[in-house]
Amino acid sequence: MSTAPTAVGLGLLACEVCRLVSRAPPPGNDAHCPRCGVTLHARKPASLARTWAFLIASMILYAPANFLPIMDTSSLFGTQSDTILSGVAFLWTSGSWVLAALVFFASIMVPLTKVIALAVLAASVQMRATWHPRTRTRLYRLIASAGRWSMLDIYVVTILVALVQISTLASIHVGPGAAAFGAVVVLTMFAAESFDPRLIWDILGEEP
Amino acid sequence: MTPHRRWSLQLVWLIPIVAALTGGWLAVKAVLDRGPTITISFSTAEGLEPEKTRVKYHSVDIGRVTGVAFSEDRKSVVASVELSMQTEAFLVADTRFWVVRPRLTGTQISGLGTLLSGAYIGMDVGSSTESRRKFAGLDVPPIVTVDLPGRHFRLHADDLGSLDVGSPVYFRRVQVGSVVAYELDKDGAGVQLRIFINAPNDRHVKADTRFWNASGVDLSLDASGIRLNTESIASMLVGGVAFQTPGESAQTPPVQGNPNFTLYPDRGKAMRLPDAAEETYQLIFDESVRGLSVGAPVDFRGVVVGEVAAIDVDVDSTSGDTRIPVEVRLYPDRLRGKSKQAAAANGVLVGKLVANGMRAQLRSGSLLTGQLFVALDFFPDSPKASVLNRGGRVEIPTRASSLLELQRTLSRLANKLDKLPIEATASDLRKSLKAFESTLSATERAVTRIDKDLTPQAARTLADLSHALTKVEQGLDGLAGDNAPIQTDVRETLREISRAAEALRNLADFLERNPGAILRGRVEEHAQ
Amino acid sequence: MSASALTVCLECDLLNRQVPLPQGGEARCSRCGSHLYRRSSPDANDRSLALALAACMLLVVANVFPIMGLEVQGVRSSTTLLDAVRSLWNDKAYGVAALVFLTTIIVPAAELIAIVWVLISLRRGARGQGAVPMLHFIERVKAWGMVEVFVLGVLVSLVKLTHIAIVEPGLALFSFGALMMLIAATAASFDADRAWTQLEELR
Repeated sequence: MSTAPTAVGLGLLACEVCRLVSRAPPPGNDAHCPRCGVTLHARKPASLARTWAFLIASMILYAPANFLPIMDTSSLFGTQSDTILSGVAFLWTSGSWVLAALVFFASIMVPLTKVIALAVLAASVQMRATWHPRTRTRLYRLIASAGRWSMLDIYVVTILVALVQISTLASIHVGPGAAAFGAVVVLTMFAAESFDPRLIWDILGEEP
Repeated sequence: MTPHRRWSLQLVWLIPIVAALTGGWLAVKAVLDRGPTITISFSTAEGLEPEKTRVKYHSVDIGRVTGVAFSEDRKSVVASVELSMQTEAFLVADTRFWVVRPRLTGTQISGLGTLLSGAYIGMDVGSSTESRRKFAGLDVPPIVTVDLPGRHFRLHADDLGSLDVGSPVYFRRVQVGSVVAYELDKDGAGVQLRIFINAPNDRHVKADTRFWNASGVDLSLDASGIRLNTESIASMLVGGVAFQTPGESAQTPPVQGNPNFTLYPDRGKAMRLPDAAEETYQLIFDESVRGLSVGAPVDFRGVVVGEVAAIDVDVDSTSGDTRIPVEVRLYPDRLRGKSKQAAAANGVLVGKLVANGMRAQLRSGSLLTGQLFVALDFFPDSPKASVLNRGGRVEIPTRASSLLELQRTLSRLANKLDKLPIEATASDLRKSLKAFESTLSATERAVTRIDKDLTPQAARTLADLSHALTKVEQGLDGLAGDNAPIQTDVRETLREISRAAEALRNLADFLERNPGAILRGRVEEHAQ
Repeated sequence: MSASALTVCLECDLLNRQVPLPQGGEARCSRCGSHLYRRSSPDANDRSLALALAACMLLVVANVFPIMGLEVQGVRSSTTLLDAVRSLWNDKAYGVAALVFLTTIIVPAAELIAIVWVLISLRRGARGQGAVPMLHFIERVKAWGMVEVFVLGVLVSLVKLTHIAIVEPGLALFSFGALMMLIAATAASFDADRAWTQLEELR
């Protein structure tokens, strides 16, 4: 069936907070959910624009997040700066392959995949693509839920900084890369939140 | 269905109950486990970090600093310290706290580990029974912690010398303790020191043990010569105290109670046995006593039997005579030595000796320092004398010192030399020299003439000369053997001349070495 | 009302008819597979409340006690989560400090408190004027509670540190682990839809 019954098609609005289905008001009026009072939108407002904005911002910050050190280790022998990558490399060379893989996945793969996937999704909607809507929706679901795991490295740095504060022997300090990386995570999460997957299906419904 | 539901419902409520119980128990445990909180005031908070600095007792972590604040008068710093439960019993009135930091003193380097690990607060538990929560921290770690076994002793000294708190105490050059404290006497007449000697070495301190200041290098330059004594490098740097019991035997019990010992300035003075009898005598010297100092020994044939007590100048106002009376203290026991004679009455022994020819004489003790000492010896050739009693003081007759005698002999020789007809000899010598001189100049003139004539008639003269020489040669040969009378004569004369020259040379050398010989003549053998 | 028999998929906007579900069942969008609603057990509210309360207590414990202790060369160091945030703040990493503080303490705590509030209001049958904003808040903030990522991060740093020092896991570590599971359990058992419905009935 090319025309599946969509809420918007039938003049209904679903509250994104309480899932209550209400009748859409005449155009030009703002509807509020009778149950929870939240403003009702047919689609997330300015979804594509906001998604792109957040995505581009996070892409810009992605480079400093990976090239600036997230952690400086000072000891009697000098200071050593670690980026996310060098941290992974250190874990790998010191024999903790599992951890190295884990941190690599969480801190490098996930943000990268997220950014790329969201870009793909947004582009697909922008270009009115109709391929694999279900997959794309699934992809979106995955991104939205898995994004938080990139915070892993930030928590690792937090603990290390807090514990290793033996001033003369060794001390670890946060580097600027951590702030950049945190920003990347936050921005990608906002980007995912801004994207409205219903747009994917809207395009399908539009086909002549 | 319903019972099943209720059961699983009940089960769910177990979870928060368990969580609540666990949380509650943890909270209670944290509160109960909390040990006492005390405050310690320090002069500086250097090294103290809230929540980081630990408190250690015997290297066991027993607490931490929770906060650092100024005292009310802003002059000191008060650290709040939270200790573990088991320390409750340790917090008594004389418990001491101090901050352990790297410390370098003359005798010890301590606390270097804190360079890496950060400073910590050390504790020494006291023995009082009175509990306490407010403490005043020490600025330096105590030298001796209360629980170290050993004993304290008190010493009294004239001055502190180079001793300080922490200076080592030695017994047979082994460090057995240290100086713990010192303070001036109330009347300022000396210094009171307190030392600690650790067990089991404290049993070596007996009732008659002598303590002396073993600081630095004991270098004495006196009438007995040069002596160098030192306990250890450490004592050279920071001073030290040493002790020994004279005539020690292991059976003597260690001293009881808390007696006050004297700290002698050096070993010699400390180990000197007490003398029972002491007699004071006076010696009048006619000569300069420069080089004699108070305390110089009175020596009888090498045995020290007394010392110089005082040196005066006695000017007789009426006659203008000046004398130098030297007061000496004698210990006749030493003269007697180990003989078991009954103690004679004062002065009897000395009187006998004087009657036998004993006199006092000043002698040079050390050529290096020029120190003098008083020597008692028998001089059989001295005029008869006896112990005099002049002006209430007993006097031992004196004899001029050998130096004085030497001076007198020299002056006699000088007189003799004076009388010698040196002048005449000298003028004769001069005349001969003058003749010699004229001969030389004549020869010189002749040579010059020869030279001048030689020039125009050079070749001819040379040829003539060679002729003449050949003739002389022949003539000499003609005169034949070595034993020709002319030759013998010539040789004799030559020998005489060479002998005279040699004698002159010797005289010149001798005069060069001993310019005084002109006056004294060769007196080396004489002076012996 | 036909509207109440219909649900709208939030991911593909498809209208789905509501069908009765067996106990514990979950309805998914027929087109995109997105979660629509589920049938939770009748005592789900009680269960959620119990779990949420337990989680709250564990949260307190987890923040009061130290997460880990480190000993190197005789020097000991330990930290609680709040101390860690403070260290970050002192290091001038204000953004990171705020982020960590929000995602590991504020948001989880707020979420749990909101759930408890809502459930208690429902239990008492009170009109609970505050319940609506609370539910709203829960919905919005769901994605930002990251306790489980934090726990994994702690474990990673634990392994990283055991190479160079003696590490002692603290009480808070286990508390956080348990908290992570309890939060997950609470989220799983808390039925927001039912809460909304019940709230509506109370009005």
